[in-house]
Amino acid sequence: MLRALHRLEDIFLALLLGAMVVLAPLQIFLRNFFDAGIGWIDPLLRVLVLWVGLMGAVAASRSDRHIRIDAASKLLSPRAAAILGILTGLFTAAVSGIVSWNSGRFVVDEWEFGSTAFSGIPAWMFEIVIPVAFGLIALRYGLRALGQLKSLLTSDPSADPSADPGADPEGSGVAPGSAS
Amino acid sequence: MTGMILLGLLALVGMPLFAVIAASAMLGFSSEDVDLQVMGIEIYRLAETPVLLAIPLFTFAGYLLGESGTPARLVRLTHAVLGWLSGGLAIVSLVACALFTAFTGASGVTIVALGALLYPALKEAHYPENFSLGLITTSGSLGLLFAPALPLILYGVVAQQMNLDQAIRIDDLFAAGLLPGLLMVLLLALYSMWRARGIVETNHRFSRSEACAAIREAAWEIPLPVVVLGGIYGGYFALSEAAAVTALYVLVVTVLIRREISLGELPEIMRESMVLVGAILIILGVSLASTNYLIDTEVPTKLFDAVRAHIDSKLTFLILLNIFLLGLGMMLDIFSALVIVVPIILPIAIGYGIDPVHLGIIFLANMQIGYITPPVGMNLFIASYRFDKPVLEVYRATIPFFVILLLTVLLITYWPALSLYLVNR
Repeated sequence: MLRALHRLEDIFLALLLGAMVVLAPLQIFLRNFFDAGIGWIDPLLRVLVLWVGLMGAVAASRSDRHIRIDAASKLLSPRAAAILGILTGLFTAAVSGIVSWNSGRFVVDEWEFGSTAFSGIPAWMFEIVIPVAFGLIALRYGLRALGQLKSLLTSDPSADPSADPGADPEGSGVAPGSAS
Repeated sequence: MTGMILLGLLALVGMPLFAVIAASAMLGFSSEDVDLQVMGIEIYRLAETPVLLAIPLFTFAGYLLGESGTPARLVRLTHAVLGWLSGGLAIVSLVACALFTAFTGASGVTIVALGALLYPALKEAHYPENFSLGLITTSGSLGLLFAPALPLILYGVVAQQMNLDQAIRIDDLFAAGLLPGLLMVLLLALYSMWRARGIVETNHRFSRSEACAAIREAAWEIPLPVVVLGGIYGGYFALSEAAAVTALYVLVVTVLIRREISLGELPEIMRESMVLVGAILIILGVSLASTNYLIDTEVPTKLFDAVRAHIDSKLTFLILLNIFLLGLGMMLDIFSALVIVVPIILPIAIGYGIDPVHLGIIFLANMQIGYITPPVGMNLFIASYRFDKPVLEVYRATIPFFVILLLTVLLITYWPALSLYLVNR
């Protein structure tokens, strides 16, 4: 279930980025050689930045690679780091959930109000990525924190590297999450 | 207030910074009785800032280049052109890394992609172990003052959100970063030449045939910096146009022409690059909200008055700024430091008569040192992991380079003309 969601997110992200890589040069080409760009490309590209950014953030939360100060996890014992990881994970889930809920209310308002973005497309269709992305991030952090809590209660966390957020600080070398 | 202190503690023990900033913005807004729907409105501003388009496109291009054979060709080419100098290989490392970082945005990719080639080569040429380690670790963040590095763009974006009286153009930032960036490369190169005296490298002499071969091999890459840097510095391209052309060009060359990256690998690279973009943009998005709150409640003005009451000279302010930024660089990575701290210190710095463009260069130069400052400098850990050395050894190896970079940062800070000379106003 969760794996299907991951796959779906990956495909979606690749499609968004692919559209961006094709549309942005196309617009330049049209503008320079035919003296006329297509009107909806520029605003669509700007919306794509928002979508790619937020879906990228969802992908980052999957492997907990968000930018943070990770001095503590390097200094503390694995057990203490695991407990702090659960605590910060739950807080992150709660905050993301609140952002999701409130931006969701904003999107509903926009829908009822019927505001349009460009080319007559309703604005809510573009804005909806905000509550969705923050909702997915909340889900990820919430599930991970609960999983870590469970393994902390049932076993020794130092025996299970996946339960310890500090155990693999540079595992992927360029992970932004480990960017201190 | 207690809420803010709790958040500060959570940030220190590793809560993702986007959540910390989002929570502080929401705490602020609710204390002013603002409906929290505003979070949606503020985050949507990511879709109203055209220049941001450059960030995903350049990052994607950078990741593609890092996965392709470009690093090897870049090293061969710089070696063919500069290898005959005393300390040639060290200078090759500096120049190649600076070029590569400018294009890949100082995300740690440089050490991974280029370090793996240069470090063994340096060792083979009998450079001292410590020197090689320090050189590669330092070079990993060299070049972030050159266009089109992401931190410069991000500073411009953040500064533009502040609605200052003075317009800050990203082109100006690109022009301003050029001389300070070159100064860093030059001083590090001089030090390398001094350290390398007595080392005789094999194939030390300039060879015309090798140079031609290296140029032919890199024929697809050579137009890239020429077109992008020439286009941006010459004013022919808007930034996002340069990014669009770069991304498509690199995609076509690496996947279709050279076939160094297969179609099957592409989704993985796309996701990896967008993880970095997402991590940056979500922080930018929520900090648009917190910045708006700060400006509404006039926090920067109050802060300026408070600072002004204690510090009256520009010089003292600059000294304190340097100390503050160095400390900041030890704690925060460059991207979150930019979006969190610039909105607060920029109005203060302007109050002391510091040019916002100059401040940007000061800020980034300080943050660059942060990459190699213990205890949490990112490059120290990447190098330690990548070259299988204890972190303490990497610390020691980088100390001379740290001192040189500190010297350039001081020059950059107290000699504004170095940054502003090339900025046409």
